[in-house]
Amino acid sequence: MTMATLGKIARRTFLIGTGLVAGGLAVGYYYYRKPYPNPLEDELAEGEATFNPYVKIAPDNTITLIAPRAEMGQGVSTTLAALVAEELDVRLDQVIVEHGPAGHAYANTTMLEEGVPFPHFDESTVAELMRSGMAVAGKFLGLQGTGGSTSIVDGFYKMRQAGAAAREVLKLAAAKRLGAEPGSLWTSDGIVTDPASGTTFTYGELAQEAAALAPPAEIRLREKSEWKILGKPQARIDMRAKVTGAPIFGIDVRLPDMLFATLRMNPYRGGPIASLDDADAMKMRGVLKVVKVETGIANGYAVIADNTWRAFQAADAVKAEWGKGTYPPDSAGIRQALEAALKEGDASYGRDDGNVETAFADAPRERIVEADYGVPYLAHATMEPMNATARLKDGRLDIWAPNQMPTMVRQLAAAAVGIETADCFVHTTYLGGGFGRRGDVDYAIYAAIVASKTEGRPVQVTWTREEDMQQDMYRPAALGRFRARLGNDGLPVAVDMRIAAPSIIGSILPRYFPSISPIGPDKSITDGSANQPYTIANYRVGGIKAPVSIPVGFWRSVGNSFNGFFHEGFMDEIAVAGGLDPLELRRKLMAAYPTAVNVVDKVGAMSRWGEKLPPGTAKGFAFTLSFGTWVAQVVQVADVGGRIRIEKVWCAADPGQVMDPAIFEAQMMSGIVYGLSSAIGEEITFADGAAEQSNFHDYTPMRIHQCPQIEVGILETAHRMGGAGEPGTPPSIPALANAVHALTGKRIRSMPLSKEVEFL
Amino acid sequence: MIDLLKALTGFAGCAVAALLSATAAGAQDPGLDAWRGIYAVFSHPRCANCHVEDDRPRWSGAHYGRTRVHDMNVQRGADGLGNPGMRCTTCHQEQNAAQRHGPPGAPAWHLAPAEMVWWQKSSKEICEQVKDPARNGNRTLDEIALHVRDDDLVSWGWQPGTGREPAPGSAEETYQLLRQWSAAGAPCPAD
Amino acid sequence: MTLEETTMKLNVNGSEHEIDVETEMPLLWALRDELDIRGPKFGCGIAQCGACTVFIDGEPVRSCSVTVGEVSGAVTTIEGLAADGRLHPVQQAWIDEQVAQCGYCQAGQVMTAIALLEAIPDPTDADIDNAMSGNLCRCGTYPRIRAAIKRAASATAGA
Repeated sequence: MTMATLGKIARRTFLIGTGLVAGGLAVGYYYYRKPYPNPLEDELAEGEATFNPYVKIAPDNTITLIAPRAEMGQGVSTTLAALVAEELDVRLDQVIVEHGPAGHAYANTTMLEEGVPFPHFDESTVAELMRSGMAVAGKFLGLQGTGGSTSIVDGFYKMRQAGAAAREVLKLAAAKRLGAEPGSLWTSDGIVTDPASGTTFTYGELAQEAAALAPPAEIRLREKSEWKILGKPQARIDMRAKVTGAPIFGIDVRLPDMLFATLRMNPYRGGPIASLDDADAMKMRGVLKVVKVETGIANGYAVIADNTWRAFQAADAVKAEWGKGTYPPDSAGIRQALEAALKEGDASYGRDDGNVETAFADAPRERIVEADYGVPYLAHATMEPMNATARLKDGRLDIWAPNQMPTMVRQLAAAAVGIETADCFVHTTYLGGGFGRRGDVDYAIYAAIVASKTEGRPVQVTWTREEDMQQDMYRPAALGRFRARLGNDGLPVAVDMRIAAPSIIGSILPRYFPSISPIGPDKSITDGSANQPYTIANYRVGGIKAPVSIPVGFWRSVGNSFNGFFHEGFMDEIAVAGGLDPLELRRKLMAAYPTAVNVVDKVGAMSRWGEKLPPGTAKGFAFTLSFGTWVAQVVQVADVGGRIRIEKVWCAADPGQVMDPAIFEAQMMSGIVYGLSSAIGEEITFADGAAEQSNFHDYTPMRIHQCPQIEVGILETAHRMGGAGEPGTPPSIPALANAVHALTGKRIRSMPLSKEVEFL
Repeated sequence: MIDLLKALTGFAGCAVAALLSATAAGAQDPGLDAWRGIYAVFSHPRCANCHVEDDRPRWSGAHYGRTRVHDMNVQRGADGLGNPGMRCTTCHQEQNAAQRHGPPGAPAWHLAPAEMVWWQKSSKEICEQVKDPARNGNRTLDEIALHVRDDDLVSWGWQPGTGREPAPGSAEETYQLLRQWSAAGAPCPAD
Repeated sequence: MTLEETTMKLNVNGSEHEIDVETEMPLLWALRDELDIRGPKFGCGIAQCGACTVFIDGEPVRSCSVTVGEVSGAVTTIEGLAADGRLHPVQQAWIDEQVAQCGYCQAGQVMTAIALLEAIPDPTDADIDNAMSGNLCRCGTYPRIRAAIKRAASATAGA
């Protein structure tokens, strides 16, 4: 990619950025450097002291660490706490870990940094400048979010600094008491020791004095070789609660005098309410009210009752007529719109190396490989259906919600009931799954509106599974059209990819920030195709925004979830057409990126790639770099009486540095199961404007008897740190499709694979 | 949805009416005519989906797309009542769950015995099997008629709950058909 | 079965409760919203996911799909497993294998695993699949669930 191309893309894309932060950038450098207030200062218990937004210590030596990212299963609360604990010199079993309040101090700058339109491996000056520019924007927005596999990358320095700064002032306080040099004191397990006198102080004894002291200007963070906690598997802090069924989730919130409610929104998404008749519902036991919930996101009604099931029953009894939405009402029409966009739409090129048009102009027919790919809309289907609990009383709005975006919840829920953002308080519970779904905040806005009709009583709004499935912010459907020209050695000399999908940012911005117009290209449409570390002389990847207004959102690995399949499915076709082994093809095309070759070699060794397999079994391979982590996978499948069993998955991943290998392994497994699950049978289709699937009988995630053995190998050779939550997903889907091809000879280019082959 | 149900039940009703009237009209072979009515019941998904050969019940109907294997890896188990940890009664209670798409229920929900398999078998095959004590639960034809009329789980086929197409006719009508068929010598069709 | 409201008795985790609810209310919602027993989770409402699994007279049942009126035996929820504050061996195995991710399905998974192990103390992979396939997990903890069940089996065998 030339500098000129970069500059052009940078200007166009940044329009989105400047739109978002309007009024922020003008304040200038000073404000950016000024720290946000410490939100813990408002909520200290008697005698408790806080050192920074991440550490609270009580006189009895109760040490509370704040892990300000949503714990949705990815183990982030444990690993973020470990980052602080490593420098604070406390044991993980000695601390309490809390999510903490919504606060700008907890902005996730990395999440915005990774929004820049440059491949992860592009470390040119412009790319670095853009990243830091987005970090500034992130801090201005104060966007506290969990997503993009960024939590640990984002917390790696600031959480360790927080722990180290607190440790140093605790030592200073002890040194003052003793008249000793702080440098002569030791810290461990929450105690400061003076080795000269043998005197010890608990952190709790020193906390009040220490919190008033300024930390030294420069604190050296510990080297990896000095780590006691980081880099080693830790017992998750949330495990005991989770195996005892503890009431830690959103739907477990209980408040005095609480009501229970549920929602029904227009299934033709975005359409209005034509009429409501609640006469029958109002006669039912326990029903208090039926209220309209009308927003820029969706329109419908809520039933408020004294028991969730009674609310469900009464919601069924309300007779509603719905107006129409603005998208084609059925899957055939939606497909036509996508096809038209693919054929005729204006592409933004996320990558345009060499000259593709010239390369194809004189290509002999027999050297060309062409293929069309497609994927459907997908639901997130978190195990905990969407819900939120809200109380609006005396001008103060409290929201208890399993959510990935607390500052957005605060701002938008407050606005929905007409109060100031400052008067809204968000309490983030544990999340019964997120996968990006809870990066949307619709459920919290609706709950706030319902709470505005209950005269100050708190109300828990729980969605039925059917509502959760049908009011999801789906993974967009996408189509891809690909061609390659092969050289005499079988390697591609030109690859041309066109991908059309509804824009995610183009869906999210209008539903939450209707005044901001989403102009510029949407990087996510080509994420996973335009930014892969392949070197091909003529290599073009274009993304087209398809104008279909079904709400779409972030689904685990976002654009990579379909581009991984497109890019790596097509690479497998190129390998077959060129007579090359799929791993050998990657080694050659990714030779400029040793990290990529490392994971390819590693997974090849783990899976004994190339060795003869028993009859009726086959392997497939794929590679995707996403969220900074380089992942290669091999999937082995077997024919069992005409049905396919996924036997085993080998995964080699390089995120640069791993903070907790057991949690990282779990995240890779999780991402793989989530990806394979989609490939073997998930699909959202539409009829009469509504999603046709409604529950787990017709939207069928992978069950344990379908789950392969999974072996994860970790490398730490990449020199930038990558994420864990998402990168396992993208390659799993094409690796399976490629294995199915190797087994059956069927090249399936459309998901889910179960439309053409049957899985056990 | 409601239209679809009406259409389905309407269709089934017509089929039974046609069969019954054919019998009443005394077409060429009253025994075979009665059998056709019985076969329409026995081969109906509400009955046949649990008379399976591979120990895996089937799902079919408006909300399940084409007939498919019961999800969740459900199997007969040693006693026909499911496997340890996931018994039939883990989900299926004594009555149909009220919620849409909820599990249907009847007393002693279980798979038909392994020898009483007729899912996707031909009319002739099922007919011969029904008469064979080794493959009908060691019953006389009268006992079969009574079983069909009085067994709670069999009766469920005609009251399968909201959203499911019931088996044609009724328990009583099927009982009468079995009696007519038996009285006519229990003939089986040629194919 | 009458649909009228009555006061009914439910024995849950060894305690008798009187509740005034419709007989057709699913047990799950009587537990969660009336008795404040929140271990059984709501996932699907139609016995597809297993998150609400409880025992009735020792047998696993999806509490979302059994009505209060149908419950005649003693109900045990995950809250009723630990004795004297000690975890059930299956819960301990879950911790030792670090199974849970988001954790929402895990109460149901643990309950089903216990039912399996009570019937088959040393289950094969197939036995595990046959018992556990009614319990969905979206986080993909299945490989560690298998490991934890085997660990619990050998822990019990060694005891």
